[in-house]
Amino acid sequence: MTVLILTLLALLAAIGVYLSVAVARLRPGADGFVGAALPGWAVIFATGGIVLSGLDLPAHLALVGRFGLQANHLALGLIPAALAVILVQKRLWLSCRIAGLGSPGEALATYYGSVTLRIAMLTLTALFGLPFAAQLLGGAGDFLSAVTGGALPRGVAVWVLGFALFLPAVIGGWRGVVLSVAVQSLLLAVLLVASAGLAEAVLPSAGFLKAGLALPDGILSDRLPGVIQYSAGIGKETVQGGLFTTVAVLSSALALVGLLLSPPVLYIGMTARAGRNLAFGAVWVVAGLVTGILLLLVPLLAARMAGDAAGFAQQLADADLLAGAGFAVLLLSVRLLAAGFFVSAGTFLFVRELVLPFILPQLDARGARLAARIALAVAFLSVATLATFAPIATAVFASLVLPLAAQMFPALLGLAFVRWISRSAILTGLILGWLAVVFTEPPGLILFEGLFLNLPWGRWPLTIHSAAWGLSLNLGAVLLVSIFTHKGAERDARDRLHDAFAARWKTDFGGRGARGATWSLAFLWAFLAIGPGAILGNTFFSQPIFTEGEAALGLPSLWVWQILFWLIGVPLVWWLAYRSRLGITSSDGIRSLRLSSEHDRPRAPGWIAAGLARVTER
Amino acid sequence: MQTDEAEERLDRHALVVAVWLAAGAVALVLFHIGFGAGGAVWLAGGFAALLAGFAGHVIVNAVLGTRFTPREVALGLVAMLAAVMALVLATLAVDGFAERFFLPVAGGLCALVAAVLFAMLTRHGPRKAFEVFDVIRDNNRRPASLLPHRGGRK
Repeated sequence: MTVLILTLLALLAAIGVYLSVAVARLRPGADGFVGAALPGWAVIFATGGIVLSGLDLPAHLALVGRFGLQANHLALGLIPAALAVILVQKRLWLSCRIAGLGSPGEALATYYGSVTLRIAMLTLTALFGLPFAAQLLGGAGDFLSAVTGGALPRGVAVWVLGFALFLPAVIGGWRGVVLSVAVQSLLLAVLLVASAGLAEAVLPSAGFLKAGLALPDGILSDRLPGVIQYSAGIGKETVQGGLFTTVAVLSSALALVGLLLSPPVLYIGMTARAGRNLAFGAVWVVAGLVTGILLLLVPLLAARMAGDAAGFAQQLADADLLAGAGFAVLLLSVRLLAAGFFVSAGTFLFVRELVLPFILPQLDARGARLAARIALAVAFLSVATLATFAPIATAVFASLVLPLAAQMFPALLGLAFVRWISRSAILTGLILGWLAVVFTEPPGLILFEGLFLNLPWGRWPLTIHSAAWGLSLNLGAVLLVSIFTHKGAERDARDRLHDAFAARWKTDFGGRGARGATWSLAFLWAFLAIGPGAILGNTFFSQPIFTEGEAALGLPSLWVWQILFWLIGVPLVWWLAYRSRLGITSSDGIRSLRLSSEHDRPRAPGWIAAGLARVTER
Repeated sequence: MQTDEAEERLDRHALVVAVWLAAGAVALVLFHIGFGAGGAVWLAGGFAALLAGFAGHVIVNAVLGTRFTPREVALGLVAMLAAVMALVLATLAVDGFAERFFLPVAGGLCALVAAVLFAMLTRHGPRKAFEVFDVIRDNNRRPASLLPHRGGRK
């Protein structure tokens, strides 16, 4: 199987290089290397693929294999994530066209008039592009080494795979990367469906539908272990019945919001052409297809894998060689897709937001392309080095990425809808939110306990994800500080943008009744699907209320509950994206607007200029 | 402007590659199982995957307002010809192939041809669909035949 897997991987890499070469030939003049306009279908497919791979499908399979359907419930979190991205993405896209803002960091920094926000977004970009991507690349290297029986050592696998990801990016730039990601995303979705179907059809052993999930003792396989558990957190205290209480599921959904609000994913939306792409991607691909695939197929695969993905690929290969190799390629490329995307997108954002405007502003298009290529080489080299030599540090820092990204939600919401949210409020909230995340995730705990004293809490205390700890402090601070600072000095810039939104692109939530119904339904859905009400799903379909007997459903009640609320959740996202037109963009009537005089002539902040002078003016 | 058109062509090409890569991968696995221990049902699944790929290609054309390019048509014809030749050769040369696989494979190939004909008929109508193949008329056409009052005949 080793030769076949390597051949298939080489074929995928060749397709990526082929598309990138075709892109490069179209624009030999180097225009748009770091951010060309993207076709709608590529945005739609790539968003789905990145979501599927960004939540680390192999890790999710392992999680469901360990915690059962309570972990499967996490997939429902993609529906609020889709709602969140639909809320902010169109206004971000518009601000990009109206005010000439090229990236999420630039948009937030210019709108709030804050260099700190630009640095915060660049920090997030770096975290996605380095430790997060390195963890995915290292995971792919681990699996390739395992599935080839050690024929390919882990280190070699990491570097070869890293080089294969580097080539499309360095040749085709942003457009080449996104086209490759989009092409592979469809393949991944189809391979996932086919692998689950083939496993059910060709493997003789009893699967999830007959035997359920075999879990370690003490873990509830088909139930949520309560609304909340008063646990000190992972590492301090073991949670009874499993980790994923309803509160854990709800708070973990906020971390998934962080994935969709990450700078690279927002950047894809900002570089999309006008049309219904954002709506289609969020409704039918993220909330519909990806959530459905995860909810329906992951338990089937996890039950058969029993925590050993390489062993399962070998089982499939024993039944049919191509099926086994296809599953192995699925698990490899799903990680590689996100790794390559986050490194490339992160590099392009760094070049666009930092290098070109502040460090080397005199560069022409060819110079900019060269700078981006050098930056890509450095980034991929760093990622491969991290993945090879520092897997533990990488995993520790990668745990921060999604919850930290979720903390940008108030800032993005302010840009999109809430003009009275001020710069001071956002910065205060961001600092508190990030601190809360850091101290409820391994990096802060390890550092603090190593340097000072043991903290009374561990990771995710009270089974509440760090994203929720951070966001509750963040939102509280934003609301409180905004009361006193809503007429800050930068209010004019905010008003100009919101006046333009209100004049030409007013959001139509319908009348008072429709508006109330929309938001009430959204909160009701959240309460029952992923909030405390989800506890009803444990027995709702197996021991119906108001009856004495039990229903012989043949399926776990919780699984049916999950599927039901997935089917209800998709129309909810559809309502916002299509009926309220939050996902539909148009270039008609766009007039340019100047948000701040600083934006027209970007000047390097003093510390960048001084640092640069120290190196160049010797 | 030329770059924009070329970009649109490339975007469409990449989308077509995405569709056929996904459909082709599944078809390959299903054919492999079918020609192994699986049998006719798996082969039918493989042809269904190819039909899904073709349907996806037609949908791409409909959404983007394009047609099959000459290269795609040529590739399709060559692939179909190769498949038919492989079927004939395997039927003649491989023991037991005809009994097990001739009917499902021939049926699948006929289904593919029928799908192509169906797509052409629904897209162009019977007359234009026929004219695509009617090369004899083009062989020795007279200039007068291109005049509008001749009803567009060639």
